Amino acid sequence: MTTKVPPLTYKVIAECSVTKARAGLMTLRHGEVNTPVFMPVGTQGTLKGLLPDQLIELNCQILLGNTYHLGIRPGIETLQKAGGLHNFMGWPRNILTDSGGFQMVSLLKLAEIDENGVNFCSPFDNSECMLTPEHSIQIQNTIGADIMMQLDDVVKTTTVGPRVEEAMHRTIRWLDRCITAHARDDDQSLFPIVQGALDANLRKQCAYALIQRKVRGYAVGGLSGGESKHEFWRTVNLCTDLLPKEKPRYLMGVGFAADLVVCVALGIDMFDCVFPTRTARFGCALVNTGQLNLKNKKYEDDMRPIDEECECSTCRRYTRSYLHHIATSQSVSCSLLSIHNVAYQLRLMRSMREAILRDQFPQFVCDFMAKHFEGETVPLWIREALQAVNVELPHDENDATVNVA
Amino acid sequence: MKFVIEKISKSSGRLGYLVQTETEKRFRTPLLVQTTKGGSIPYLSREVFDYVTEEVPALQFTLSTIDHMVESLKLFNGTFGAYVGYPECLSLLIIRDSCELIPSGHNDKDIIPLFTRRGKEHITVKRYMDTVETLKPDIYQGLCDADTNLESSKKRIIKCVDRTAQFMDACYERHQNSKVLKKCALFAPIVGGYSTHARCESIKHAKAKGEKLANGYIFEGFHNYGLSACQVDSEQLIKVMTHCLNELSDDKPKMMPGAYTPPVMLELISLGVDIFDTSYAYCAASNFKALTFNFNLKTVENATSQPFLEISNESLKEDFTPLIRDCSCLTCRKHTRAYLNHLYKTKELLGPILLMIHNLHHMMHFFSTICKCIADDNLPDLIKLIKFQRGSLAVDYSIKPNTKIISKNDQDKNYTILNDDQK
Ligand SMILES: [Zn+2]
Ligand SMILES: [Zn+2]
Repeated sequence: MTTKVPPLTYKVIAECSVTKARAGLMTLRHGEVNTPVFMPVGTQGTLKGLLPDQLIELNCQILLGNTYHLGIRPGIETLQKAGGLHNFMGWPRNILTDSGGFQMVSLLKLAEIDENGVNFCSPFDNSECMLTPEHSIQIQNTIGADIMMQLDDVVKTTTVGPRVEEAMHRTIRWLDRCITAHARDDDQSLFPIVQGALDANLRKQCAYALIQRKVRGYAVGGLSGGESKHEFWRTVNLCTDLLPKEKPRYLMGVGFAADLVVCVALGIDMFDCVFPTRTARFGCALVNTGQLNLKNKKYEDDMRPIDEECECSTCRRYTRSYLHHIATSQSVSCSLLSIHNVAYQLRLMRSMREAILRDQFPQFVCDFMAKHFEGETVPLWIREALQAVNVELPHDENDATVNVA
Repeated sequence: MKFVIEKISKSSGRLGYLVQTETEKRFRTPLLVQTTKGGSIPYLSREVFDYVTEEVPALQFTLSTIDHMVESLKLFNGTFGAYVGYPECLSLLIIRDSCELIPSGHNDKDIIPLFTRRGKEHITVKRYMDTVETLKPDIYQGLCDADTNLESSKKRIIKCVDRTAQFMDACYERHQNSKVLKKCALFAPIVGGYSTHARCESIKHAKAKGEKLANGYIFEGFHNYGLSACQVDSEQLIKVMTHCLNELSDDKPKMMPGAYTPPVMLELISLGVDIFDTSYAYCAASNFKALTFNFNLKTVENATSQPFLEISNESLKEDFTPLIRDCSCLTCRKHTRAYLNHLYKTKELLGPILLMIHNLHHMMHFFSTICKCIADDNLPDLIKLIKFQRGSLAVDYSIKPNTKIISKNDQDKNYTILNDDQK
């Protein structure tokens, strides 16, 4: 019998000699993924107004789907009959699914967690339901994503006290139940989630426990939920120190450009966020200096593309002026801005990867921050986070005043 | 623009082409022009439209949906086609958005009401012709009062013919004296509801003043656009149009915008109408219907077809087949009925995008078939197939509104104005 290639292999191709950033190659059942990678979110089996072919054109290698939404519509039976989500939505490349737990707790007010799982009222018939670790895995096995997430006990990031510790321990117990329930380990890889809110000690305990399990990658959860940025980067930095180098690390729900650059420097490989496509619907386009709200009258007669350097199909053909006139009133504007915004995120990740490969990542970080915060102060947390990985941003007068304060 | 007639079929219909003046590019007639909203083909970006066809499109720009961007165009270094992503297109400018029902009334002295995104605007000849000079379309229609339908009173009909004559007198004068408009072809409007007498009056005016100046004719006033165009009384329409076309010379192209049903379009083509638009495909897509009528004369005799597939139908939930089995469009090659049904239920934007891709593909292939049938002198066979779809009764092609469609405001509700350029 020939041994099957594991459903996930990961190789670090280059490491930054200064920071903890690394460039890697992750190979999954539906193709290769160059890391660091940003995963656009296609909640209900589609990415807002974009064709799969357009995503391939942008060289998007992996999408995120939401288990909770897909479990409701089209439903597990339909997905089963379709032969999984890849077939159902006509997406030939990789997919990652969340566990459904986080969405449930955040969307359904009445969700309650006990040792068995997440209790909730069905939004349809108000009947009492429960999402257990076994359920979540069963659903994710049916969806057939290349990477699936364990069900974790979610607490608000800013929670303190015994509830945080309980959630961390329960997350580990639930991981074991997920591993046992996982029926397609030959095709799909299950990622555990490091929990422990902002408590370094709990994060350590959790990470140590996860490392004992046989898994192919790790997620850092429970962040970007209202904590301060100082606590945010310290927790990310701690987790990447704790997690093994030879496996991919996924930071859940993070996707603002500056956060991506900092967290890549801290050693994160994978990201997801709804922001780029959500903001497109409001008529906003991402650029290196932040975002342009194209609804603003000042773009009415602006005949430049969104970004002169962007090679996306929107920037090749359309002006800010035209986009201003159709933004939010013609639905095609949503597709046009989504294309650009996804292209922006993917290009940012690609340029970070290239900088790491050339071992010029620290320079990239400095250039990026200079442009991103042009004429403004770089936030202190970014300076400190970068200092922690040996990158000193050049000072200017504005910064000096901040440091004194 | 030049119009060349290649062939007038013995049985019915005619073949020809429009030639774009500067590029000398040819556009075959009967021609299906892509109607647009805000300058874009509804739901489709240029990139996505390129998945539908490699052919250079003829685009129909509708003043009521682009009025607010005309000022900006003055600062743009290029054509309006280039501004909206289609630098090489053949551009036609009409006044009303043929995709949507237009409210009746508001026909005050010297103005035409224009129902835009910003509300009702008043269009005078001067304002209209200024706009045409800015947009410089390959073809534009003359300003007219077309606010009539089957129910219109005699008085309203007479008024619309008179008003149109007045508007057109001024349009002709301006057209003649404008250097910019030398390169733009003017289509004279023929109005008059369902009254052959009134239509004749309108034609008389168009011939007297426009014989030299008008390069073609546009027929309006049979309906108020939107879904009302696919519910016209076809017998009455054909009767009036037969009369009109007898009065007009053959050498100029005739255009009829609006969501006429495929059998009505065919009747009109056999009478000699040359140009139609894609609003029927749009109306079907926006009401979650995939066009499935059969126009393949080679299919087996006993296989009947439905004009549409209702995407909202629950029976599609687990139907993993394409919209049409042998359709080569992107939607049918890559996606299933079940997926479209899912996108419908989740109100995802990709739903209408995929439907529009299929419906446009279907209509474009339908028009290629029409051209081929005229060339082969068998348009009557195609008319029969379209009318009956191999069944014993005439098929109903009118589009009923899907009451559950994503309301236009639904999207808007989600839009809140964000702070400017926020980080
Ligand atoms: Zn772009
Ligand atoms: Zn198709």
